[in-house]
Amino acid sequence: MEASNAVIKLVKVYKIYTMGRQEIRAVNNVSLSVNSGEFISIMGPSGSGKTTLLNLIGCLDRPTKGKVFLDGVNVSSLNDIALTGIRRDKIGFVFQQFNLIPTLNAIENVELPMIFKGIEKQKREMRAKKLLELVGMEDKAAHRPAEMSGGEQQRIAIARALANNPAIILADEPTGNLDSKTGRDIMELLKDLNMKGRTIIVVTHDPVVAEYSERIIRIKDGKLDVS
Amino acid sequence: MVSWMYLELARRNLKRQRMRTLLAIIGIIIGVMTISSVGIFGNSLKMSTIELFQDVANEIVIYPSFPDGYNSIDHQTLRIIDKMADIKIAIPVKSESGLITLGKKKAYVTIYGLEEDGVKELFDLKSGSVSLAGNNVVVGSILAEKFNLRVGSKIGLENHSFRVAGILEEKGRSFDINPDRGIIISERTFDTLYSGEYEMVIVKTVSIDNVEEVSKTIKDVINKRETKIRVWEMKNILESINRAFTYISRFLMAIAGISLLVAGVSILNIMLMSAIERTKEIGVMKAIGASRKEIMLIFLLETLILGAIGSSIGGFLSILGGYGIDLIILKSTKYIFIPKTALYVMEGVVFGLGVSIISGLYPAWKASNLEPIEALRYE
Ligand SMILES: Nc1ncnc2c1ncn2[C@@H]1O[C@H](COP(=O)(O)OP(=O)(O)O)[C@@H](O)[C@H]1O
Ligand SMILES: [Mg+2]
Repeated sequence: MEASNAVIKLVKVYKIYTMGRQEIRAVNNVSLSVNSGEFISIMGPSGSGKTTLLNLIGCLDRPTKGKVFLDGVNVSSLNDIALTGIRRDKIGFVFQQFNLIPTLNAIENVELPMIFKGIEKQKREMRAKKLLELVGMEDKAAHRPAEMSGGEQQRIAIARALANNPAIILADEPTGNLDSKTGRDIMELLKDLNMKGRTIIVVTHDPVVAEYSERIIRIKDGKLDVS
Repeated sequence: MVSWMYLELARRNLKRQRMRTLLAIIGIIIGVMTISSVGIFGNSLKMSTIELFQDVANEIVIYPSFPDGYNSIDHQTLRIIDKMADIKIAIPVKSESGLITLGKKKAYVTIYGLEEDGVKELFDLKSGSVSLAGNNVVVGSILAEKFNLRVGSKIGLENHSFRVAGILEEKGRSFDINPDRGIIISERTFDTLYSGEYEMVIVKTVSIDNVEEVSKTIKDVINKRETKIRVWEMKNILESINRAFTYISRFLMAIAGISLLVAGVSILNIMLMSAIERTKEIGVMKAIGASRKEIMLIFLLETLILGAIGSSIGGFLSILGGYGIDLIILKSTKYIFIPKTALYVMEGVVFGLGVSIISGLYPAWKASNLEPIEALRYE
């Protein structure tokens, strides 16, 4: 684990919630390093801290203690604006509930991160079209999320995650709301992306899904399970 | 670079809750319409009141300066004023209280000594003619009514008999002289009966625009060494009326503004509801790279659209509203289609937009400050 190769590095990271007198260590002293181009799955029972860990990596959340490095930059010390920039440019999120914007059609949803980045219309539309082709959704460009199946929505969500060409894709139970066949298709798609060099972290509790990754990280009660 | 997409997104979000959007827009329409139509009406009211004074606005009244020991205006002063430029007519006025006899009835009334052209200039005639020659007199309308005087009636005054040649229209409240209960005789006749001096000179300038200049010249020339006279411009009244009605108009508009405030509260309400309902969506947007600024922009654009639609419709309807109020209260709509109306419409629209934006600020700020993970966890 050479530091030079690590796109993601966590050093003694804690996320502690205090509920009244009770202290919940959702992430409890986790150190972890992910190399560029790796395909990793994070597994663990419900409530073990998987989502919290992923959110810390994805700059959606700040650790209570410890440091998170992305591309060697200590993001725990960055301000809101800088974190927003990282989420926009370096990370692509895929959620269990797809989370497409209901008022926008497929291609507009894919364009949205590029709009936030201020990319001009023509360039943006061209790239969104290409991404829809990549996920096999070019026919559904004008469809609203409500008019699409779960699997189709998740493909659009993956296209959206790729919009600003991020180095890292973070997927939180991306197959959790899909049937097993569709789930496998989605995992194939993520595998393809990984083959093209993208670093991918998938949170799951499905061993079949974890099969697609090169490395499995197990987490229990906020702690890494090194067995 | 801001994309049109934000505006499109705002538009679609508003379409999601058609009823709510419609109600908010109606609120703004009502608010803007009330403010602007009240403004338009206030202005019409002012204009029609000023119009009543328009034909006396070129009048300057000259009094002797009592505090400086002057009780009358001398002939020399009158001659100087007579010769000045831009003066249409200078009417010297004498008056005295006298006992008149009408058959068996007697009454004390004011007797004015004037010239015919002065009477014609100052008053309107109801019947007969303005003639003060020989033993002819002109009488005021209230006096004529009270004593049942007609053209040709006889009036006794200081042991002389006079004949009513003309009866004037009622003048009502006035700032110079009011002969409604009096008699007007010629200055020559007046001088044979009484020994009074000029107590005022009523000057009419050629146009309203000359008033200040003429008034200043009179003061400068006559009061060069001593303050012999005081000058009072009728235009002052016009300006006071103007000011008073402007205040009234503003006050009415401020009251009408309450309806816009209510509309603002309703916008605040629906945008807060909207922000709460869309918490998850906001979380997603933040996760994929929206900054606070962009979330704020999306929400503010929504209120801006509400405000723009409501204000423009309200502004347009306010012209109809002003027309209606004018028709009902003033029975005239001649002050609707004037440039000033556009000003009141603009004011309403600007306030409508302003209220919308201000009401939208807090919900937008609240939405933009949501923590992304909290927002994403929201169901
Ligand atoms: N905002 C929060 N406040 C309090 N407790 C939280 C919060 N977020 C997560 N937790 C707790 O942290 C633990 C880990 O949650 P999470 O990361 O969502 O688990 P997983 O994704 O593995 O199911 C759980 O016990 C959860 O209740
Ligand atoms: Mg989870």
